[in-house]
Amino acid sequence: MKHFILFLSILVSSISFGQNYTISGSIKDSTNGEDVFGATVRVKELSNVGAVANAYGFYSLTLEAGTYTLLFRATGYESKEINIELVNDIKLDVELNIPQEIQEIKEVKVSAVKENDNITSSGMNVTKFDPKDIETIPVLFGEKDIMKTLQLTPGVKGAGEGNAGFFVRGGGADQNLILLDEAPVYNASHLLGFFSVFNSDAIKDVSLYKSGIPAMYGGRASSVMDVKMRDGNNKHFDMSGGIGLISSRLTLEAPIVKDKSSFIISGRRSYADLFLKLSNDETVKSTSLFFYDLNAKANYRINDKNRVFLSGYFGRDKFGLGDIFGFNWGNATGTLRWNHLYNQKLFSNTSVIFSNFDYEFNIGTGDEGFGVKSSIQDWNIKHDYSYYINSKNTMRFGLNAIHHTFKPGALTGENDAFNEIVLDPRYAVEMGVYVQNEQKLGTRFNIMYGIRYSGFNLMGDGKVYNFDDNGNLLDVTDYDSWESIKYHQGLEPRLSASYILTENNSIKMGYNRNFQFIHQLSNSTTSSPTDIWVPSSNIVKPQIADQIAMGYYHNLKKNTYLLSTEIYYKDMQNQIDYRNGAETVLNDEVEGDLVFGRGIAYGVEFQLQKKKGKFTGWLSYTLSRSLRQFDDINEGEIFSARQDRIHDIALVLMYKVNEKIALSSSWVYYTGDAVTFPSGKYEINGTFVPYYTERNGYRMPDYHRLDLGFTWYMKDSKHFKQNLNVSVYNAYNRENAFTITFEEDPDDPSKTQAVQTTLFKIIPAITYNFQLK
Amino acid sequence: MKNVLYIAISTMIILSCQKVIDVDLNEANPNVVIEANYTAEDSTVRVRITMTSSYFNSEPSPEVNDAVVTITDQLGNSQSVPFIANGYYELPFYVPVYNSNYTLSVVADGKTFSAISFMPSPVQLLDITYDSIAGFFGSEGGYVPYMRFNDPLDTINYYSAVLSKNGDVWDGLTQIFTQDDRLTDGNFIERPLFGQEWYQMGDTIGMELRSIDEINYRYIDEIQSIAGTQSGAPANPTTNWSNDALGYFSAYSNSRKTVVIQ
Repeated sequence: MKHFILFLSILVSSISFGQNYTISGSIKDSTNGEDVFGATVRVKELSNVGAVANAYGFYSLTLEAGTYTLLFRATGYESKEINIELVNDIKLDVELNIPQEIQEIKEVKVSAVKENDNITSSGMNVTKFDPKDIETIPVLFGEKDIMKTLQLTPGVKGAGEGNAGFFVRGGGADQNLILLDEAPVYNASHLLGFFSVFNSDAIKDVSLYKSGIPAMYGGRASSVMDVKMRDGNNKHFDMSGGIGLISSRLTLEAPIVKDKSSFIISGRRSYADLFLKLSNDETVKSTSLFFYDLNAKANYRINDKNRVFLSGYFGRDKFGLGDIFGFNWGNATGTLRWNHLYNQKLFSNTSVIFSNFDYEFNIGTGDEGFGVKSSIQDWNIKHDYSYYINSKNTMRFGLNAIHHTFKPGALTGENDAFNEIVLDPRYAVEMGVYVQNEQKLGTRFNIMYGIRYSGFNLMGDGKVYNFDDNGNLLDVTDYDSWESIKYHQGLEPRLSASYILTENNSIKMGYNRNFQFIHQLSNSTTSSPTDIWVPSSNIVKPQIADQIAMGYYHNLKKNTYLLSTEIYYKDMQNQIDYRNGAETVLNDEVEGDLVFGRGIAYGVEFQLQKKKGKFTGWLSYTLSRSLRQFDDINEGEIFSARQDRIHDIALVLMYKVNEKIALSSSWVYYTGDAVTFPSGKYEINGTFVPYYTERNGYRMPDYHRLDLGFTWYMKDSKHFKQNLNVSVYNAYNRENAFTITFEEDPDDPSKTQAVQTTLFKIIPAITYNFQLK
Repeated sequence: MKNVLYIAISTMIILSCQKVIDVDLNEANPNVVIEANYTAEDSTVRVRITMTSSYFNSEPSPEVNDAVVTITDQLGNSQSVPFIANGYYELPFYVPVYNSNYTLSVVADGKTFSAISFMPSPVQLLDITYDSIAGFFGSEGGYVPYMRFNDPLDTINYYSAVLSKNGDVWDGLTQIFTQDDRLTDGNFIERPLFGQEWYQMGDTIGMELRSIDEINYRYIDEIQSIAGTQSGAPANPTTNWSNDALGYFSAYSNSRKTVVIQ
């Protein structure tokens, strides 16, 4: 550690002559005053000198006295040149304009003013989307969804129809850190995965880090998906919304104090179940099935040095079948943030974050009723600094502490047959301290290096169970409140570097080690809201992932085509699976039903993107493997993880016919998931039972699907815009397999057969969107 | 709980469809399958030994008729279980000792397999009650029986239950009910058992409550989830047989009741 700090200070102290001055300020959108995250400022006269605005639009650049031309750029904006004479420190706030042509048809904004940033930026490439970029991409039921679009990019695989979650580079679905305004979201799906919890209208942008993960992020092994909510228009009132077949949404935003303070509030409600009311059957009629969610955010600029933000999310899914049963689940998050500028070079942010996920189901009512509840709740404090040391170095450091409360389950109700059961809650404190520097070496070489210390303290009160190798209970120990049960810790080095070969191509590499202290246990092929989260403990070790990745990036034809190739290798220690026949509900001793093993994942990803012109889109192809080895599964032999899809192709095309009409399509193809099928059968009690010989030794049929979209921008005025979106999901009606089951032929019990279930055949949808300002 | 989700999914996906497909499956090497029950009620050990076959084969399972089967009690006394016919082996008049272990060993296909099962003492069923149920989803209604018994306090009990209707016994693999006392230790249990079909006025309801050991309780649970339509990462159920044999050995006691609906 000592050597590391020494190394750091040597690197940082770049020699400079003459008097230095600092230019700093914020970069904002001229139409609504939103901060522009990731905007860059470059000095035209000097090569490889510049700064990147942080998440709050703040930038700072220190240069020798002199005369310079500063070039401010951001994706989707016109670049702006400003001449300055630097003789003292300057505060320079910049507003970037959306190009005129794009302003008229704002929704098909796929411009790339910051044309070769993919080449010149330091760090491994981050997959980044603005919800507006993807507005026309066709999706299920016409509900645009940033998470579904991310799954069309290389290395990111959706868990499949009817499943929540996604897999990044062969990692598990619980290994993705999903943040909404810094608050972890434990279950990012609605309606069992058909929608994500992210309402595109309320979202500013989404960044997905697959490798070379910056040191400020910790806690999950595979990836970070950082979702930022919009701040709300601080120039004028704006109302927008959409009415679709199964859901509608409405967003209001306005200044509270013009240019100083604004708010946004955005809500959605689905109503698929209203169609069930048309049924003649009483049971079907009494079925309810819907979700709603609400995003709200307000910010206030106290003065030039201080700004506060308050944001929150609340969402709930409800499913009920009359009095027979009810099932509901949802997330709630809240974030209070304070930005403080100590001086022109040192920016800090302090956040207090709350996050909760819970589910509950009830069966029956009154004397016969009973229910099960479970939750996970976090209180989280973060304190982060951005220190713009000079034009070559930007340092970030900070610390973070999370208090977790796990309530794995409680049985409630009036039913006398059941004893009241409340599983012991688990308490833990997770902490992280990090420092990272982003440095420009010469004109071609950029490097980002950092280290994170992570610790996890599992605490009482509660009972702790010990098991033998076969999962049989050995003994139980009682712990007092705040008494440490087990402390886990580790150092996580993070590194990424890029070398600019020419203006049009570069190579990059990244290494990261990530610890994960909380784990989601999932028993079935379909992930569900009832999958429980468990902390690392005396039994469960932290998951550790090491990943090394390299990439080559090449832009062709004046940055019209962007070509990228990345390869990666990932090693995952202490992976978790259930023993056969594990009891997962209300089981105090669930840790005895767990087995531990190792995972490796490797692959190569290609993407060709066209970002300019009437015709835009991308083609991506991933060739990869994801394997597991558990001593207790498959007789210790290596087997394919479910998400071991060898080939994965996505083709997304968007065509702007004219100012009124935009067409789009997306086509996906991937190797079927690895599954376990029987290799024989036998008879028990006169019934044939499948005989399994290896775990995940077979494949589902390959999956492919074409979706089409058509957007019509209707006549609009200065204050009112509207469009109509028609989409067709699964346009050529492919019957993709959701499950394949092996069962007796109902007409002839001596025969057995394989039955495939398909969830979605062709589904058309129509959505009307409007904006009023 | 899994079922709750499947109902949720299937209710939602009114658009889903099913079809029978062709799947190319491997041929596993044939393996020995031993189904063995020792029933306290009639003091009989019944064993059936077969082999696995290829999945889409429609022939009956191959039988093993040359095995050597032996049962041993907790004191080490052994007795041979003689071959009857068609893969069946049977030993009558073998008097049980409750709350003791029995070991069954089988020599077949050139290998020796053994399994241990615990014979619990029986738990008495109380009288069967029944309720009328209105039909739903457009089906006809009928009567549903309630299983009622007092779970012994401070002992861990595992049960399976079997229904019959007018002498027609529903004891198929997926027709058996299971019950444990993990959440209900020492309580009066009253649970409706939804059988293969509704009972109607005049029908005779038969009910059998078996006291089984933990490994066989888990076996039924696991095999029902495998034989059912959905399963996570399927695997062969955990069995008490050594040497990779399939099947189970269960020593169990029981109690029975019948009632005529009127």
